[in-house]
Amino acid sequence: MCRNGPEPDCEKAPAAAFAALLEDSVEELYENAPCGYLSTLMDGTIAKINATLLGWLGLEADAVVGRMRFADLLTVGGKLYHETHFAPLLRMRGEISGIALEIKQAGGGRIPVLVSSVVKNGGNGEPLLIRTTVFDARDRRAYERELLRARRAAEQAHEQAEADRARLQDALAVLQQSLLPATLPPVPGVEAAAHYRTASPDRLGGDFYDLFAIDGRRFAFFLGDVCGKGPQAAAVTSLIRYTLRAAALHDPDPVAALTTLNHLLHERYTGDDPRYCTAIFGTLEPGPTTGEVTVRIASGGHPPALVLRADGTAGFLATPGGLLVGVLPTAPFTATATTLGPGDTLVLYTDGLTEARTGEDRTALYGDEALLAFAAGHAGKAPQAVIRALEDLLDDLGDGLDDDTALLAIGVPAPGTQSRTAT
Amino acid sequence: MNPLSITTQDATTGPVLEIFGDLDYTTVGELRERLTALTLRPGQRLVLDLAGMTFCDSSGITALIAARNQTHAAHADIALAAVPAHTLRVLRMVGLDQIFVVHPDSDAATRP
Amino acid sequence: MDIERRNNVTVTGNPRGRAVVLAHGFGCDQNMWRLTVPALAEDYRVVLFDYVGAGRSDLTAFSESRYASLDGYARDVVDVCEALDLRDAVFVGHSVSAMIGVLAAGMAPERIGALVMVAPSPRYIDEAGYRGGFSAEDIDELLESLESNYLGWSAAMAPVIMGNADRPELGEELTNSFCATDPDMARVFARTTFLSDSRDDLRTVTVPTLILECTQDVIAPREVGAFVHRMIADSKLVTLDATGHCPHLSAPEATNEAITDFLVRLP
Repeated sequence: MCRNGPEPDCEKAPAAAFAALLEDSVEELYENAPCGYLSTLMDGTIAKINATLLGWLGLEADAVVGRMRFADLLTVGGKLYHETHFAPLLRMRGEISGIALEIKQAGGGRIPVLVSSVVKNGGNGEPLLIRTTVFDARDRRAYERELLRARRAAEQAHEQAEADRARLQDALAVLQQSLLPATLPPVPGVEAAAHYRTASPDRLGGDFYDLFAIDGRRFAFFLGDVCGKGPQAAAVTSLIRYTLRAAALHDPDPVAALTTLNHLLHERYTGDDPRYCTAIFGTLEPGPTTGEVTVRIASGGHPPALVLRADGTAGFLATPGGLLVGVLPTAPFTATATTLGPGDTLVLYTDGLTEARTGEDRTALYGDEALLAFAAGHAGKAPQAVIRALEDLLDDLGDGLDDDTALLAIGVPAPGTQSRTAT
Repeated sequence: MNPLSITTQDATTGPVLEIFGDLDYTTVGELRERLTALTLRPGQRLVLDLAGMTFCDSSGITALIAARNQTHAAHADIALAAVPAHTLRVLRMVGLDQIFVVHPDSDAATRP
Repeated sequence: MDIERRNNVTVTGNPRGRAVVLAHGFGCDQNMWRLTVPALAEDYRVVLFDYVGAGRSDLTAFSESRYASLDGYARDVVDVCEALDLRDAVFVGHSVSAMIGVLAAGMAPERIGALVMVAPSPRYIDEAGYRGGFSAEDIDELLESLESNYLGWSAAMAPVIMGNADRPELGEELTNSFCATDPDMARVFARTTFLSDSRDDLRTVTVPTLILECTQDVIAPREVGAFVHRMIADSKLVTLDATGHCPHLSAPEATNEAITDFLVRLP
């Protein structure tokens, strides 16, 4: 406009020209702003209100100014919120912004809004009036509702997942129970106790054990660990149990039983999904003198059994050289034997116990030596008591237990005690 | 917890797989894949160098046995090198030290 | 659990003076009493606290089952009195807190010797022969809007503090948590408050009681103040020339004067 350099009129001209162009007076700007404006006295009485807000409310100025309070424009919830939060906050801080409320329309509807207020103080600092801006928040409210809906859906899905998980764990627990003997049979002249602990309620375990009669006099037992976890491993434990039971009834010699098992596993599972296990198999034969039981055992790659003696000593029943069952078509198994006298107890366990992580950083393993020392501390006790002590030990190992643990204790009662079998 | 990583070298005797990190239930899949991808010719020897293996559980043992089955199916051999002490103990306990050839290191394992 | 930490207890004023416990009502927290404390500090030992779920109380101590009834909140009061070994204290309760004080005095009469009720209401819903100020539909609508609109409430209740340059008398103690309330716990408190009926409990009050009401209070209309006064034998009703539900904020001088007047005349 002013091309020929600065002239006195040119400083005023652009502003005035723009104003003229837009035909906006301050009055216009106030009345027809894209938001609602409201001024109230400190007690909430409305002193001034713009056309935009009146339009949203569906009210006339003379019905509102001097007659209604700001809170009267709100819903019940809004009124309550205003009294208990909005007004106090405004008093304390002199301003408040971004408060979500709803205003009531004359026709009965309601509009979600966002409200900001500021207190105007007089000359001596005392509060005079409140200036409020009201923004239409319909879109934002719709968005919030969507968010809430999505959140509720997510929460429900989460709850459903948790419920499903609980159901699965229950089913697994039932299944797990069915894979192990529910109770140990009573064995004349012998006490027995067992314990099984899974490392995780979400997975089926691969440990197995059993104790059963093979004829009128003798009993057989076994305990072992299938490699892997989960349903496939659990299915193999089932197969192993029935195979060993059948083999024992056919020929109770421990090496023969393991050889049969080895043959079956090797034939059935080959190639890149090998299934093998470690196992100890044994027989119990009451001796000629009462109170003595001959134990014959063979081991296929399994941690050595412990013998706890009545005189307070403990030792491993070594069966070196035995191989994992199911790996080679023919496998060497070594047998050994011992006699249990009154107060002696034989303890079988899986490596969940010895491989448990201990120490502060959980890098050390519990180990054989520690187990031997622990066993010696309980030598002479009945199988039930030994198992209970081992259960406490497992409790102490807590989350250091990475793997399932099975325990089986078989003992001859000390003189003067009743024969008891625990399950 | 150390992540598993495997490098492949070629020796005159055949492939050498160097295993680093934890070989456990969650990582054996990787070893399996690598083994399947190998082509072994009859008479070759697959060497598994375990010097850098920090952990091996029963799933790891299973993977070693599967590797053995695979090499034998291809009429090839398998040997373990630099087996860590703990794993060696486990192998001894389960008798696998009788069926796996164990060398102190890769050089010994790849001598023809 | 340490009660003083759990309920964010603040003790100020004259350690040798009689104990005056200031209890906030629904909405905000002990900061609401900011303008009352200076009027009492010289002569009285002033105790402030936040109910569990409000202000800077320990939110982990919140349990929906406990705080679904006013007895749960009354327990907080008794816990605080016991933790500080208060005896014969004056309990000043705003809004529903006045009723909580009545229940607390019943639970532990040796702890509370007098009551001040600021804009109290024993029941908010109208009934035949009783005007509480709200219809059942109003309260339903309120509770339902709390459910669906809680994002709006939580946005408002988030700490939003800028410098208070024009209110220097408030000092720097006004911190971020002013009026920050967990929206879920606020909902429980609202539900407990607005569905409560403590009218019969008023009869059990045996201590001197001051009732302060405002001339214009949507939440506690004049009829309620009159009702409470009728139900408590040894009570005095003072109507403050104030509007709204929080005279301790909107008309602090008149409120403080009424309270100190009452305190001075207590036996």
